[in-house]
Formats: sequence, structure tokens, C-alpha cells
Amino acid sequence: MLRKLALGGIRSRFRDYAVLFSGLVIASAVFYMFLALATNTAFLKSNSFIALTSFVFYFGEVLLVIITVVYIVYANTFLMSMRQRDYAMFMMLGAKGRKIAQLIFIETVSVGLLATVVGTGVGIGLTTAAGNLLINMLHAPATHFNPVWGPAVLWTFVFFLGMFVLAAFVNAGKLLKTPVLQLLHADTTPNRLQQKRSVLVLQAIGAIVLLAIGYWAMTQLGTLQLMGIGLALVTIVMGTYLLFNASLVALIAWLKRRRFAARGLHNFTLSQLSFRIRDYTRILAVVAMLFALALGAITVGLGFQAEIPALVNQQAVYDVVTVAPNAATRRQVAKLTGVTATQHYQEKTDRHYVYLDASALARHPVQLMDYQNGKTVRVKVTAANWEKYADMAAQQLSTFRVPADADRQFKLVPAARFAQLAGPMRTVTTYQVADFGANYAPIKAIVAAQAKQHDIKSATQSGQKFYSYELVNGMFSGLAFMGFFLGIAFLAMLASTLMFKILSGASYDAKRYLMLQKIGVRPRLLRASVRQEIGALFLFPGLLGVVHVLFGLKMFTGLLRHPYGNLLVPFSIFIVLYVVYYLLTVWLYESIVIHRDVTA
Amino acid sequence: MQTQPVVSVKAVTKTYGKPNQKQFQALKGVTFDVQPGEFVGIMGASGSGKTTLLNILSTLDRPTSGTVAINGRAVTGLTGNALADFRAHQVGFIFQDFNLLENLTARENIALPLALQNMATKAQRDAVDRVAATLGIAEVLDHYPTELSGGQKQRVAAARALVQEPAILFGDEPTGALDSTSAKDLLDTMASLNREQGVAILLVTHDPFSASYAQRIMFIKDGQIGTELVHGTKSQEEFYQEILQTLGTFQQ
Repeated sequence: MLRKLALGGIRSRFRDYAVLFSGLVIASAVFYMFLALATNTAFLKSNSFIALTSFVFYFGEVLLVIITVVYIVYANTFLMSMRQRDYAMFMMLGAKGRKIAQLIFIETVSVGLLATVVGTGVGIGLTTAAGNLLINMLHAPATHFNPVWGPAVLWTFVFFLGMFVLAAFVNAGKLLKTPVLQLLHADTTPNRLQQKRSVLVLQAIGAIVLLAIGYWAMTQLGTLQLMGIGLALVTIVMGTYLLFNASLVALIAWLKRRRFAARGLHNFTLSQLSFRIRDYTRILAVVAMLFALALGAITVGLGFQAEIPALVNQQAVYDVVTVAPNAATRRQVAKLTGVTATQHYQEKTDRHYVYLDASALARHPVQLMDYQNGKTVRVKVTAANWEKYADMAAQQLSTFRVPADADRQFKLVPAARFAQLAGPMRTVTTYQVADFGANYAPIKAIVAAQAKQHDIKSATQSGQKFYSYELVNGMFSGLAFMGFFLGIAFLAMLASTLMFKILSGASYDAKRYLMLQKIGVRPRLLRASVRQEIGALFLFPGLLGVVHVLFGLKMFTGLLRHPYGNLLVPFSIFIVLYVVYYLLTVWLYESIVIHRDVTA
Repeated sequence: MQTQPVVSVKAVTKTYGKPNQKQFQALKGVTFDVQPGEFVGIMGASGSGKTTLLNILSTLDRPTSGTVAINGRAVTGLTGNALADFRAHQVGFIFQDFNLLENLTARENIALPLALQNMATKAQRDAVDRVAATLGIAEVLDHYPTELSGGQKQRVAAARALVQEPAILFGDEPTGALDSTSAKDLLDTMASLNREQGVAILLVTHDPFSASYAQRIMFIKDGQIGTELVHGTKSQEEFYQEILQTLGTFQQ
């Protein structure tokens, strides 16, 4: 009977439970995704040359735990708000406190357990999918990366089940203490904006001071070390919450006093926001943090990825060079895309020399990397400055030779002399492409084909840029991988949090919108009100999230050469995603709360 | 005085259920008029079709056949913005469960229809104060609905319905959730609004006492209008007794 009552509750409010359930599934999935990296020390060690990484993950874990706790507490409040009327009714019918407590326990823990099981499954799936996608995209070796990671499964279960058992006790305790009558009418109590001005001012000042300390701490990681990250974490989370609390309460109160509020549905929209302002500020703070984490992770990921070509391009000018290409090589060459420059040079060899035609160099100088005044620059080499750069050419133009030429020196000769030389002639072709990463596969194949053809046995013998790329990529792609992977995870959590917040209130809001329609509000105005209300939920955390990221990037000054170098790409990708998600949410919410045709 | 009726209902029927499913005919051809300034009651037991009728009159539902005109305008074909505007300007509702927005204060609830027309702030305030004074709720304007008693809530709802000066005020069991004192107060207020300001009122109720305030009562049973009683010059007490007697015979 008890089980029937508990499960019957789920059946009768299927949609609300679906919202609750999917929210918790995403939360536990993201939690798992994060842990799959964070608890895999072998992966962290082999993919990061920065000792700090595992500590960064440790603090990330703390932050994620805070966020998840807020999320679960919120989900739990939602669960109770759905059920407290029913429980009150059971109590009115004479159910004993113990029975009710048992009911709550069964329901809360079974929802939690099921969500964790499914969530871990989804987490494993997402980890596999995102992991493989990124490994392919980044050509990252991602050694020791394992989508199905035992400790992560274990800790996800321990954490979530612990939280839900705790929640069940809190729920039961709170419910049994609240008078039955109050439970029956719990869903319509407003939240008066009655905060004292002095409290608000104090909160605002506190928020700014805390944020300032947090931002400062992130710039001082060099001296503060780990303390800095911990300090930043605590102060920024609290500062974000206080800032939303103070500024939104003040902003709404201020707008309500303006003429603005007396026009159209503005007053209603503002009241919708202030109605549950406590919930809102908590969720907005969480969303702002998730926004910052997701955007920050993706920006840093892209930053590390951008380091790769930047560093590789300092090693060599030519992306790939072929010597006397055979059919296999030519087939791969044909697959190169975005080729920006191709040059052909004729070479002849004898016992001591590899001869190059000076007139060919005069038309198309070969390019070398030179290190001048702390910067690497490209120099063009012709007969005129050949002597000066002879040593460098011997070193850097190893791609113009094959192992068989090991004892031969380069020699530049005039065109007439070159023509007279007897030895066999071969063509060396240099290629430069716009995007090395995009041409990874054909370049790899060309290098392999050349190695086979000319019996090249080592990277040193080859001298191709590909080997530098592999080396640098090995160093940075692991970090880029972590950045993107966590970016995706936090983005999923962000989406789920916003969606959850908005949909969990939808069934109450639907009543209000129906009333408005009954008293003759145009559908267009209702839709505008929905857009504004949800817009506020998206806009404020977004703005603060961007500010957090801009300050947070300071932490990476030592690791990235230009942490602020290329913000446009990640920011615009992220903002486009965010706007699309906003439109989707508005559409979904409208379809729930606004009736197409009021006939009932 | 206008000659055209403020509400004109002609041969309205309403059938629930799709043609191939089990059907239920809630209204079987209802015809009546309400003249300007009239206070009309519609009585019937639960299931008699009175709520269906009121929903159709107030454009919240559509009749299966027949026409409804309010202030000379056919409302059955209205859609979208025209329908919304019609609701906003021509009709006021008072519902049994108040239908107040619990996230707005009483003042904001009452001012909402005016804000929707972007009326100037001061004019809104004046209009709300005026109607609040008439209904005796001036002191509670800054309270939220949850902080009001049932009677006060219903007065706020009435104020919101009247602030636009609609052609007709529809009441769906407005005293249904009120204690007897609050109910009497509200009915007195409605009667005086009707008398002094000429607001036409159509009240749907199953409570004989509420109905005794009307000038004319139509009894609805099984989807049709049966008996009709007229207040005339009788005292309210006599009229109340007459209603009780009619109910006694009518319900059998």
C-alpha cells in the first residue's frame, strides 16, 4: 500500500517528475564526467606538464560539489512542493508521522537512486562520445583516458545517494513540523520585497569586496599558489550570490516604482521575478558560476589549442616537403587542402654535394627560421645571403635531403653550372597550408610515404614539421582536451539548471497566465512577458559569467602566451549557443504556459 | 437608454465529446436577453449546465451552435487579439475562486487591465482608488492576495472586473467561497453598483439567497431554461421565499 501511494504520486504528475528526473540525471552525468577526469590521476599526470593541474581539479571538484548541492537542494524543494499537499492529505486522513516519513524516504531515495543510475550511464555515454570526438579533433593521444572509470562511478554514487538520504531526512523532519493547513496552501505564498535598504547596501558592498578579493587572488597565483585558488573559489561564489541578491532586489524594487512598471504587463513580469526571488538568486548565482566555468574552460581549451600551431610554426616554415615524390606520395599530396604556397626546387647530387640552382632561389628564396632579439623571424635565403645562413640551412633544410645524402653538403651554383652537372636530378617540393591540424591525416601519410621511399628512420633524419607538431601537440592537446571536455560538461549542466529552474515553475505559472488570458491580455503581450522574464534569467548570469572569465583568464598568464589573445572565437561560439538555448527555452515554456485558445 | 440588449443569447447548444465518441449535451438550445442595467440571476443545480453557459457568455468557451452577442457584437467568431481586447473592454468577471494573481498586490491586480492599455500612472492610481472606495477595500490595496480574507479577495476581483467599466459583469458563484457576512456585503455592494451606476450583472449561482438580489431569475435544468421569476415590487424576503418554493418544485 505504501509503495503504491509513493509511486502513485509519480504517475499522477508525470511531466513534473520528468523535469525533475532529467535534471537530476544531467547533474549526476556531469558529476561523473568531471570525476572521470579528476579521479584518474594517471590521465592527469600523463596529459599535463603542469604540476598544478591535479590541484586545479581538486578545487574544481569542490566547486562542482557546491553547485550540485544547490541543485539537489533546489530539486528536492521542487519534489516536496509537488508532494506536500498529498502528504498533508494523507495526514488529514490519519496517516501517522512515521508512515509519512517512510513514504518520503522511499520516494526521495528511489528518485535519487534511479536518477544516479541513469545519470552515471548517461555520463559514461557522454564521456565516451565527447572523449572520442575530442581525441579525433585534437589528434590528442589522451593516454590513460578511460570513459568507464570505476572510482568515478563509486564517488558519484556515494555523493548522490548520500545527498538524497540526507534530503529524505530533512524533508521528513520539515514536513512533520509544518502545520497541515500550511502545507495545503503552501504554493501561493508571495515573497515580499521587504529587505531593509541598509541590509541591501551591506550585501552589495560585501559582494563587491568579495569579488574584488577573488579577482585579485586569481592574478596572484604566483605568490599565493594553491591558497589563491581556494580563496578565489570561496569569495567569488559568495560574491556572486550576494551581488545577485542585492542588485536584483534593488533593481526590481526600483523598476516597480518607475512609470515603466505601469505599462502593459511589465508589473506582472517584475512580480513574476520577485515572487520567488530567493530561489532565483540562488539559481542565478549557480548559473553565473557554470557559465563562467563552461566559457572559461572552452576559452582556455582553445587557448591551448592555439598554442600548438603557434609553437610549431616557430620550428619550421614548410608544413611538409617532398623529395622526388613517388606515386604513393603524390596521391597523398593531392589530398592536401588549403595550400597557400607550393615551390619546386631542382636538386642534383654527386659524391660530396647536393646542388641547388641559384637562379631558382633568386626567383623563390627558401625560407628559414632565425632567432633574433628574442623572437623567431622568417628569413628569405638566396645566393646573396647564402654564406651567412649556410649553417642554418644545413640544419633546417634536412627535409631537402634524404638519409642517402648524409655525407653531402648543400651547394648553391649558378644556373649555367647547374645545367652542366651530370648527376641525377630530383625535385624538392615545399608545401605551406592554411591549417596544419586540418591536414593532419594527409601530412602524416606523406611523411610516412617519404620515409618508406627514402628509408628515413627517425624524426631527426626527416626534419619534417610533422614531428614537431606531434611533440607540441602531445604537450598541449591534453590540456586542450581537458578544457573542451569540461566546457562541454559544464555547458550541459548550465543548460540543465536553467531548463530545470524554468520548467519546474511552469505548472504554477501556467495558472497565472491562464488568468491573464481570461481577463483579456493579448497573447502577444503574454509572450513578450515570457521573453523578458526568461531573458532576465539568461542575461544577468551571462553578464557576470563573462566578467568572471575575463578576470579568471589572468590565472593562465604563465601557461598561455596570450590568454586574452583570441577571445572572439570562444565568446561568439558560446554566445550563439546561449542565444539558441534561450530561444529554445522560451519556445518550450510558452508552449506550456500559454494556451493557444482559451476555451476552458 | 439603449434599446439593444447588452447580452443576447440565441439557440445556444453545447455538446461535449467528439462525434464518434460518447457525447454529452450540456446545453440544449438556450435563448434569452439581458437588458442594459439589469441584474439577472441564473440558477440551477450542479450539472444543470449553468457553468457551461457562463463560460460561453464570457468567451471562455465556444457554443456548438447558436449565437451570443454582447453589446450588439457577436462574440462567437472572435479570435486572437480581437478576442483578448473584447474581454478586456466589454466584460468583467468574478470567479468563485477569485482568480487573482498571487504575485501582485491588490492594487496591482486591480490596475492590471489599465496598465495593459498603457494608461498614465496617475490615472491608473485614481481609477483604482475610486473603485476601491466603492467596494470598501481602500485599506488593503497594498496587501498580497494571500494576506486577504475571502471576502476581501472577492472584492478585489470585483474591483478588477469593474475598473474598466465593462458593459456587463459576469459572476460565477462569486459568494461560493465566502462566509455569510462577507457574502451579504458583496451582494449588497453589487446590488448598489447595479442600482446607482447602472452596471448590468449576470450572476450564476445555486444559492437562493444570492439569487434573491437579482431582478429576474432564470432556472436552468438539464441544459434548458425552464421557469423564470421576476422580482418586481416584492420585498427581498418574499422573493427569497418564492425562489425557495420554485426550487422545491423545479428540482423534482
